[in-house]
Amino acid sequence: MTTFGLLSLLLTLAVTLWSSTASASSDYHEQLFLQPLPQSSLLASFNFRSNTSQQAFDNQHFRYFPRALGQILQHVHTKELHLRFTTGRWDAESWGPRPWGGSKEGGTGVELWAWIDAPDDDEAFGKWIALTQSLSGLFCASLNFVDSTRTTRPVVSFEPTGDHQDVDGLHLLHGTLPGEVVCTENLTPFLKLLPCKGKAGISTLFDGHKLFDAAWQSMSVDMRPICTSDGDCVVQIEQTIDMVLDVERSKRPRSNPIPRPLSNELLACDTSKPYNSEDNCFPLEKGADAAWSISEVFGRTLTGVCPLTGSDGTQEHSVCLRVPHEKQVFITEGSTEIKKEDGFTRCFDPAPAQPFDLSIPEQTVDIPVPREEPILYAERTIVGHGQERGGMRIIFGNPSNTTAVDFILFESLPWFLRPYIHTLQATITGRDGIPTEIAASDLVTSTFYRPAIDRERGTQLEIALSVPAASTVTLTYDFEKAILRYTEYPPDANRGFNVAPAVIRILNVENSAPVYIRSTSLLLPLPTPDFSMPYNVIILTSTVIALAFGTVFNILVRRVVSVDEAAALGAQSLKGRLLGKLVAIRDRFRSKETKVE
Amino acid sequence: MWSVVQWGALIPDEINLGTMYRLNTYPLIHTGFFHALLNALALTPLLERFEAEHGTLTSIALFVGPLSTFPAGIYLLIEKVILHSNTSVVGSSIWVFLLLGSEAIRTYKSNPHFSLGPYKIPTWTSPLFACVVLSILVSNVSFLGHLCAILIGYLFGLGYLKFLVPPEKILRWIEGKLNLLGRLPHYISVDQKTFGRYGVLPSSNNAANGNNGTPMNFLGTNQRLDDNSRRTYISENALLPGQVHAYFTGSEQNIFRGYKQELQTLLNEGRKAEDQEAEVEVTPAASNKVHSILQAAGLKVATQKYEYTSAGITHQGENIYGIIHAPRGDATEAIVLVAAWKTADDELNLKGVTLALTLARYFKRWSLWSKDIIFLFTPDSKTGTQAWIDAYHDLHPESVQPLPLKSGALQGAVVIEYPFEHHFQKLHIVYDGVNGQLPNLDLFNTAVAIAGGQMGIGANLQEMWEHNDSYEARLQTMMRGMTKQGLGYATGAHSSFMPYHIDAITLQPKGEGWEDEMALGRTIESMCRSLNNLLEHLHQSFFFYLLMHSNRFVSIGTYLPSAMLIAGNFTIMAIALWMRTGYYPESKPDTPAGEKSKSEKTSKTGAQKIEKAVKVNETALPERLMALPLTLVTGLHLLGLVPLWTFNNIFHQYFTTATYIFVVVDIVLPLFLAALLSNGLGVSKPIIPQQYHLIKSFALLLLGLSLSTLATLNFSLSFMIGLLCAPLSFIGRLQGPAALRYGVSSLGLVLLNLLSPPIVLLGVCWYTGVSVETVLTQAAFGWDVWGMWTQVVVWCVWWPAWLIGCVQLGSSIF
Repeated sequence: MTTFGLLSLLLTLAVTLWSSTASASSDYHEQLFLQPLPQSSLLASFNFRSNTSQQAFDNQHFRYFPRALGQILQHVHTKELHLRFTTGRWDAESWGPRPWGGSKEGGTGVELWAWIDAPDDDEAFGKWIALTQSLSGLFCASLNFVDSTRTTRPVVSFEPTGDHQDVDGLHLLHGTLPGEVVCTENLTPFLKLLPCKGKAGISTLFDGHKLFDAAWQSMSVDMRPICTSDGDCVVQIEQTIDMVLDVERSKRPRSNPIPRPLSNELLACDTSKPYNSEDNCFPLEKGADAAWSISEVFGRTLTGVCPLTGSDGTQEHSVCLRVPHEKQVFITEGSTEIKKEDGFTRCFDPAPAQPFDLSIPEQTVDIPVPREEPILYAERTIVGHGQERGGMRIIFGNPSNTTAVDFILFESLPWFLRPYIHTLQATITGRDGIPTEIAASDLVTSTFYRPAIDRERGTQLEIALSVPAASTVTLTYDFEKAILRYTEYPPDANRGFNVAPAVIRILNVENSAPVYIRSTSLLLPLPTPDFSMPYNVIILTSTVIALAFGTVFNILVRRVVSVDEAAALGAQSLKGRLLGKLVAIRDRFRSKETKVE
Repeated sequence: MWSVVQWGALIPDEINLGTMYRLNTYPLIHTGFFHALLNALALTPLLERFEAEHGTLTSIALFVGPLSTFPAGIYLLIEKVILHSNTSVVGSSIWVFLLLGSEAIRTYKSNPHFSLGPYKIPTWTSPLFACVVLSILVSNVSFLGHLCAILIGYLFGLGYLKFLVPPEKILRWIEGKLNLLGRLPHYISVDQKTFGRYGVLPSSNNAANGNNGTPMNFLGTNQRLDDNSRRTYISENALLPGQVHAYFTGSEQNIFRGYKQELQTLLNEGRKAEDQEAEVEVTPAASNKVHSILQAAGLKVATQKYEYTSAGITHQGENIYGIIHAPRGDATEAIVLVAAWKTADDELNLKGVTLALTLARYFKRWSLWSKDIIFLFTPDSKTGTQAWIDAYHDLHPESVQPLPLKSGALQGAVVIEYPFEHHFQKLHIVYDGVNGQLPNLDLFNTAVAIAGGQMGIGANLQEMWEHNDSYEARLQTMMRGMTKQGLGYATGAHSSFMPYHIDAITLQPKGEGWEDEMALGRTIESMCRSLNNLLEHLHQSFFFYLLMHSNRFVSIGTYLPSAMLIAGNFTIMAIALWMRTGYYPESKPDTPAGEKSKSEKTSKTGAQKIEKAVKVNETALPERLMALPLTLVTGLHLLGLVPLWTFNNIFHQYFTTATYIFVVVDIVLPLFLAALLSNGLGVSKPIIPQQYHLIKSFALLLLGLSLSTLATLNFSLSFMIGLLCAPLSFIGRLQGPAALRYGVSSLGLVLLNLLSPPIVLLGVCWYTGVSVETVLTQAAFGWDVWGMWTQVVVWCVWWPAWLIGCVQLGSSIF
């Protein structure tokens, strides 16, 4: 059974996009999708999409497509681009599968991959560096640090999502910055790429304080060409922001953001307890999801609609909400509500140029939104201890009782982490909880391995794996930690070194929309020298030299010669004459009769 | 050829009325480039200072004039009139020493002595030292000339030469006429001179020690400890201890009481059926409640079962832990808060567990965490954390379950204890780890700073409830710390974290006062906030230290030499013995005698021949017979594995018996070995004294090597074993008349037996009142569970060395 897509709407949308045959040459759409998640979380998924005809793009006639980005892409011959900014981690156990099937999110930090048109690898890499440098400036991110050690060329993990005429001439390059902290400085340039630039429509909800207070958030920029069968091509740019907000936390007023203890009267206590009294309280955790409204959660209301949307006349609703139909939803006057047939989705069309708010009261419902199971759980941790060696442990859990999951595990490891692929081992645990060790080759169907070169490139490892139904596979391998050169340590050397998240591409999904999972990034502690040591050494050496110098100098310089020998030095031999000259020169510098003070 | 040196040097014989100019020219003339350069280097700072103090004109006047002439005059007087010799002098070092002399006098006025051990050395002598050192180091230096300069310098410094300074009126006139101020770039005018106002800064230790005399002149004072220790300080700036407001108050206490009531009820219900002995054991119902409370609070919860067997006792339990995911975090770093149901002193830690639960619920609300926070609930303080932390790093034994849920790299751990009902007075911070490992001093300092500075609770350490910061109290604190470190056992639930380089401490409320659980909660909240600030793993501060007070410590650089000296003594002795075996001193009288008695039977010529051969032998180096000593020393060290195995593997009820058996073995075994050795082990000829020396040399070499290595890992253990082994350097095979030999060696053996490992163990047990069985069970447990290796040092380093010492002494009987 393929329980594809918890957020079926999103996925359907993704699918339609995937196979869409864009008829219009130039259009713009935006949509906000809201879904309450367990543990009083709220998923808000913003999507902005626009098409520009290939011809207009080539002639630099930019209307919806941002000129700043378009010119960069043209300059470096990038045919398809995917850029991701992500913070936090998606809690698959509570929240279920990822929005967009994970295809619109990246690993922690910044992730970038692009198909570049170039005659050979070297030229492609040159353009790639130009691309990263330009994007670094455009998005205020440290993308310029994506150098050869952080660049990989994945073989099977990614496939172009656009329609390209000449796929063979395209080079896929992939780079990650797991340590990059995504913040408002990245959001501002992101908003500037939008046609309405955060002034109207759903993008008015973006507030750096709320967005970056989210438990998880991901920003993405995708550019790809889409062609119809008759050769009509459009260039599509799609920008998304997904975030999971903690409703309780977001509702705190900005004037009093500190979660102070509640006053005694406001405490929800379990009154059935025999000891329950004024100063004894066993707290009662809330059963129903908390009430919320857009203005509370985002700190502002939605301002109308972006006037550029839907110029082609296709009807897409700009705000959608996934709650059971029986649940009450209050909306601002003047906007329309459309309930979908699936019983859980309803969409809203806000009135233009008017603030729009939406509020949901606290209410227990009989039929909750069905909770879907992700296709695969993945967790990656570093095990072992010590300065020299360690191990990587990746756990894949297949929740399905019937279907095996095939997927590709893509790891790009830094060069200073040297994996021993021969130690790759697999343990399979069934529902009974008894682990069985099996040869890794039984699960691995194919492997692509490109070993690291010190200081030049990292390890690239792509493994095609299969996890049987209702079981958990633990994959382990050992690695060695390299010792860096003194100058290669960053200022915060003792923090550890970031290892990029693993990318997992699930293969046997029946539709063509790719499903991706990314593990969390890791912190690898490397052997770190005591950086005050050189200082100690300098002090010690100086002392020793100071003590030794005087005596040694004296011994070296002073010559003890008897009177006879001194006379003999003046002998007529060549050596004697030379020595005589030397003595004469020396005497010129040093008066024999004179004592030096 | 006209030589400027010949022309201008101060040559006593050349001085007459016409050549008086030499008295002033000689400092300007040098014999070579390096002479000039070095003098210039020394003179520049001194002269610059002088110029700044007295003005440019005065300096020129003085140095061209009287300050050159006066030393020269004295020099001539002494050299010509008294010594009747004719050594010429040249060079500006005369000025250097003159200035040094005057500076020294001024230093002397503000700071009369510097102390070197018990000696007070007047500071005015320093130029004299410099003068002597220079004369020794550099050839061709006029010692007398420098002395004269220093003398004039002293006089100038004391102010007797003030009359030489030209009157200000004249100086002003010159200055005005020549417009020096405008023309010379760095000219210091008459009005700008400072008269030494920025001279020697007053030294602080002068006034403070005024009545105390020199600080190091007598033992046993705080002053002495102050000199060898430092005040603690927060080295990692990111920690910022106590800089945040702790909000854990108000209605959180109601929830605390609610949770406590709930757990208390469940504990009581579970106990009714059972006997009263298991009063501190946690019941499954209470444990499940912890699980459900954590889950309700929104944490990710998991459990882990484990089982350990040691000395025939099985320890099992189940850990429960919950993780607060850092909002926006990505599971790269984590902090651990531990609450064990049973404290390190085997008391029921109900309030501690409840506090941890309340904090978990409270912390979940905060969005500022940059690291995951793991709340770990273990059934006891000995095994639970060990099982958990081993499994966290996937290094757990078979009997321990792996962890289903993990987070990132652990940055620190705090253990919470509150095993009583009443309010507390002070916090006791326990910090010792297994095998003498210590947490980073910054973590301890943070706890002290928060408890004392922010909460006003006050912190204790090493069970020193009353610490008046006196010499005795400080020493006692340090001794207790060293004992714990030396024994290397786990002092609490935090100890298991240390081998994994995770800094951890236990906070124990002690005494009766008016601080309640919320104060402890706020302390922990503040500590978590500090740890949360960390950008890097704790690495800034010390990992090797001895604490003598909560705000004073001795660093490794100060204390390590003591253990190293003790360990070094064995090595030095071993090398000395090795050298001695290269000579013949003992064998010389023996061999000829023995040979002679044999040879007398043959003939006189034969005897002479042999005598010759012996003489030839004496000149050659003797061969060292190393096979037997090496075998013996190696064998005895390997023999140490027997007691090591025995004391770690037999059942706990046999420990006492085994100890007594071992005492007997320790008495008999050396004598037996000594007897065997005297008879050459029955296989070879009787062994010669050289081999005894070699045996001792090897044994001491190994001991010295092991102890000096150990000192860098576990200073206290190395120090204690070193002290106990100290007699081994001095005992050996005795010589002399039989009666004396027997008497002395028997007495020696008795005394040495008192220092044997089992007797020391019995003695310590008797002194502290702990049963031998308890100690050994704990030791075996430490070996099996904590990875403690104190036993290895005892049985494979100390015991073999001791045994060989006894064999040496015992061999004098046979």
